[in-house]
Amino acid sequence: MLEAFLYFIQQILNGLTIGSTYALIAIGYTMVYGIIGMINFAHGEVYMIGTYVSFVVIAGLTMLGIEYVPIIILAALTIAIIVSSSFGWAIERTAYRPLRGANRLIPLISAIGMSIFLQNFVVNAQGARDVAIPPMISGGWTFGTENFQASLSYMQLIIFIATFICMSALTLFISKSRMGRACRAVAEDIKMANLLGINTNRVISATFVIGASLAAVAGLLLGLYYGVANPHIGFIAGLKAFTAAVLGGIGSIPGAMLGGIILGLTESLTAAYISSEWKDAVSFSLLVLILLFKPTGLLGKQEVEKV
Amino acid sequence: MSSHKKFLKLGAAALLAGAASVASAETIKIALAGPVTGPVAQYGDMQMIGSKMAIQKINEAGGVNGAQLEGIVYDDACDPKQAVAVANKVVNDGISFVVGHLCSSSTQPASDVYEDEGILMVTAASTSPDITTRGYQMVFRTIGLDSHQGPVAGNYIADKIKPGNVAIIHDKQQYGEGIATSVKTTLEEKGVNVVMFEGITSGDKDFSSLIAKLQKANVDFVYYGGYHPELGLILRQSAEKGFKAQFMGPEGVGNNDINAIAGPASEGLLVTLPPSFDKNPANADLVKSFVDVGQDASGAFVLTAYSAVQVLADAMVKTGGTDTDAMQKAMREMNFSTPTGDIQFDEKGDLKQFDFVVYNWHQDGSKTEAK
Repeated sequence: MLEAFLYFIQQILNGLTIGSTYALIAIGYTMVYGIIGMINFAHGEVYMIGTYVSFVVIAGLTMLGIEYVPIIILAALTIAIIVSSSFGWAIERTAYRPLRGANRLIPLISAIGMSIFLQNFVVNAQGARDVAIPPMISGGWTFGTENFQASLSYMQLIIFIATFICMSALTLFISKSRMGRACRAVAEDIKMANLLGINTNRVISATFVIGASLAAVAGLLLGLYYGVANPHIGFIAGLKAFTAAVLGGIGSIPGAMLGGIILGLTESLTAAYISSEWKDAVSFSLLVLILLFKPTGLLGKQEVEKV
Repeated sequence: MSSHKKFLKLGAAALLAGAASVASAETIKIALAGPVTGPVAQYGDMQMIGSKMAIQKINEAGGVNGAQLEGIVYDDACDPKQAVAVANKVVNDGISFVVGHLCSSSTQPASDVYEDEGILMVTAASTSPDITTRGYQMVFRTIGLDSHQGPVAGNYIADKIKPGNVAIIHDKQQYGEGIATSVKTTLEEKGVNVVMFEGITSGDKDFSSLIAKLQKANVDFVYYGGYHPELGLILRQSAEKGFKAQFMGPEGVGNNDINAIAGPASEGLLVTLPPSFDKNPANADLVKSFVDVGQDASGAFVLTAYSAVQVLADAMVKTGGTDTDAMQKAMREMNFSTPTGDIQFDEKGDLKQFDFVVYNWHQDGSKTEAK
């Protein structure tokens, strides 16, 4: 009995860990959609670049003989955020801004093109193979009986805390700051916001930069957690995060958080009680079901079609 | 060795004849198809260096029937869709010989094209039994089958390890699931308790749920059918979660990348691999040629790829031309003396005999034979 309960707890913890990182990446999709009504298909690559940059920084600092882990991680975090948000900004400048006002399909294609370009850019610059770093933060707590030990690693705890901090900061930023208010105004009606003197181009750039920074945080966290990256990880992570954003209601920030957690839990519980083989099938069936009954997603609101 | 001598003789003849026919310096093109990029590019490297070395050696010895061989690399990235595109490109480029592909799931669709177009294909690495069970004439391989490899692994587990609860995990791909099924059958025949048989998604990064499940089922032995990127992560995450079981995998997990991914957790992994042909004293000179140019001949597919090229060249010599239909008939009759031993093909195009060996993998990337 106790064992079954511990097993359940363990799977919930696993699901929350993976779900938190889906949520971090999903924010980027949902914010961009909320503001310009488009899906940024290059967002998964920004996450991938975040992982690569943190690996480079970690490897570099370790080679320089710096061994104090918090310093290495802080440095990796800072540099990953700076580089990834520059990429986010550049993606908006090159793949979206020149096409502002064009048919909605056109920026979609240019974003897919950007995604393919970035993947191949990293393949050429860093090689197509898996790169790995040794575990930086090991250990954790275990609890349970002799037969089954549930565990919560320090790394998982760090992921929870970091996600919580990022999400709280983002919520505060959106609801309290001047730029946050401008974001909400632009999301509601971009033309009106423009007429009222809001620099909408700046707001859109800021949205891409914020989304990219959170993706960089996810990139670092997942990079540390798994210890492995290759140039193609952005595709699957992007797909999952996009699913999470749609599940929660694309365009809604709390929806992306909720969607990420639900997706993570569904995956982990399916793997636990049915089979790993059915993980993706069940998650995506859930998505279809939710969209059938609630086409706007869990927390999405009915929106007037933007022209 | 005899074939090497044959090449030397031929080479001498070609030199003499060459004076008369320098103008017709024709080349016979061989497509070298396999993953040059992508997650399993490391195996592609093994195949490429082996086949290129064979081409170089044969050309140094005077070529085949007076013509030089030329290897042209095609990248399929171990992706079935790209493999078919590569096959069509080979057809368009007018090439009649292929050494490759590497991944079984690539070789299978590509071989449909080759069979239709009369292109002779020898794979040095694809071990899925399905490839040669379709009655194709143009498809050969210089490596054993999963149906050979599975029983070797299964018998070793049952006879030497004698584990309590075995879990078999696979990546749902042709290669991984095929070999996992074969291991399962062997274990069940031997009465070993297989408590779990489950697929994962290739490309997945998070195996924490799976590991918790293995822990709960009190598994003490895990067989993984698939490639190193996933097994590396499973090993690493198992170590972090404190899950201690003996792991084992097929030759698709046995390369240095698994050490980079799993680190110390890769120590003691059991791997079934083709025998270390590079350790055979008869190959010492050849191995030295690899070392001289900074290459490593110990990869599982280096010398099987060498043999694949040599088999093609020998068949060209035997039939005195490059007619692929005559060659495939001859290849089923001939004895080939290659760095991977004296080999013969059966009707299906498989080797009549090929032994896999169980190795202990070490965290520095070396391996020792498991006793």
